[in-house]
Amino acid sequence: MPSRPDRSSPDPFPIRTRSLRKRYGRVTALEDLSLEVGEGEAFGFLGPNGAGKTTTIRLLLGLLRPSEGEAIVLGKKVSRAVAWRGEVGYLPGDMAFWPRLSGLETLDFLAALTGRQASARAGLLKQLDLRAADLARPVRTYSDGMKQKLGIVQALQCAPRLALLDEPTKGLDPLMQQVFYEIVTDMRRRGATVFLSSHVIAEVERMCDRVAMLRAGRLVTVGSVVQLREAERRRVIADFSADVDVTALAHFGEITSGTGRRVEMLVAQSQIAALVARLGMLPLADLIIEHPTLEEAFLEHYR
Amino acid sequence: MIGVLFRHHVRMHRVPLVPLAFGLALFEWIMTVVAGEPSISRFLGETLRAAPPQLLALVNQDLLAIASPAGIIGVGYTHPFTLIMMAVWAVRVPSASLAGEIGRGTMNLVAARPVVRGAQVAAALLALLAGLAVLAGAAWLGTFVGLVGRPIEGVTAWRYLPVAAGMWVLFASAGSVAILVSALAREAGAAIAWSSGLLAGSYVLDYAARVWPRIASLRPFSLFRYYEPQQAMMAGLASYDVEILAAVAAAALLLAFAVFSRRDL
Repeated sequence: MPSRPDRSSPDPFPIRTRSLRKRYGRVTALEDLSLEVGEGEAFGFLGPNGAGKTTTIRLLLGLLRPSEGEAIVLGKKVSRAVAWRGEVGYLPGDMAFWPRLSGLETLDFLAALTGRQASARAGLLKQLDLRAADLARPVRTYSDGMKQKLGIVQALQCAPRLALLDEPTKGLDPLMQQVFYEIVTDMRRRGATVFLSSHVIAEVERMCDRVAMLRAGRLVTVGSVVQLREAERRRVIADFSADVDVTALAHFGEITSGTGRRVEMLVAQSQIAALVARLGMLPLADLIIEHPTLEEAFLEHYR
Repeated sequence: MIGVLFRHHVRMHRVPLVPLAFGLALFEWIMTVVAGEPSISRFLGETLRAAPPQLLALVNQDLLAIASPAGIIGVGYTHPFTLIMMAVWAVRVPSASLAGEIGRGTMNLVAARPVVRGAQVAAALLALLAGLAVLAGAAWLGTFVGLVGRPIEGVTAWRYLPVAAGMWVLFASAGSVAILVSALAREAGAAIAWSSGLLAGSYVLDYAARVWPRIASLRPFSLFRYYEPQQAMMAGLASYDVEILAAVAAAALLLAFAVFSRRDL
């Protein structure tokens, strides 16, 4: 039985990486990742396919060995002890089980390997609507959605202090996605830290306090959802009571659509005051200035 | 943790273990029935006198040994059927336990838990050894039941206990090499192909070295060189053979521990 990690660890960051790098021959999967995730935080990891999200999670778990740098999880160097993994719940991106084992056998086996009581299992099964009859069946008879539910239960059944979730809502119907959001909320209520990668930006925006964006193995940006949205260009929509030459506004920002009486622009925060002053000289009928959504912020980074 | 993983491997492989054990027991029982028929022993003796030495080398016995009832039963322990049954387990379990779990993606679930990599290698080894013990025991049980049911004068089942033990040691060694191969591979298919190839190559080398004097010096490089059922039947297991097979197993396992502890999963 592994020894329980010290919960009173002075490290306030359940996840800390320093110049983490992973190379496969000449291919760099992850480059110089330095990141800190605070206790009780929900941290979203965004990026297109191949950006390095899964590689990062696998490095954090010690499934991969870093080419350079180090990862510290729950106050322990990943490359050394393994006992800390008893406090971690992991949901892989590509969920695979032993086809002949039943759902219950799978959960029992993985809980035994974790070395802790599956204290949260009953609640999770109820929330995700996995019944005893479902758990008695071999996993090979499960649909993709059921496998994903079983994956969520195996990851969280021992009430982990840190959950590493790779594409957690993949294959779940919208109803179950809502249930999953509630599960994450419950986890956070009891102080657990959640680190999740996702392609679903709205999901990250809804669940996470902070977000990191990766592109081609490099960290593009990291910050709170609000900060990221505010850092991006504002969307400005101006309606005019008479036709105007909207091209004259081009030097304030990017015109995304424009007719004689209406113009939509993306404008840097520093240009807003000048633009408003210029618009005041025109026959302005209405003016809307919006923060971009996280999705727009994300797309800005990946265009 | 090793116990949890060991029980998991047993659960994954217990279904094929039953027919393998039953097949071996039945085969060795049949050999006692054949050996108990004087006409068959006589016919076999006459036939073998006419057979080329290359054919006799295939069963790793000399003519006089085969031509006796005790020898016929002994052939059951070197017969390709028996060796293949044992080899199936010696390749299947190691290949599935490490490379198979990686290839299927389930290694992610196991390795993300507080399990040291060495425990995974140790659990695979335990499952290998336990299954081989069941198979070697089943083979001997077939001989025992056959000889109790139809006693043959001057032949007791206890003479075959060291033979079965020698077979266990041989395949424990081969299985340890298969664990090393599995620790290096990313999929069960590749591990099975390499391990089967190495085992078949070792068998062919032993056979070829016995029938072709020019390569006789290469015979010590085959694991099958250290499996001598006839000698085990007469004088018990040769400690030298056991030591060599144990040394090969130990070296392969040490390498497997080292490789698997450092690799990406």
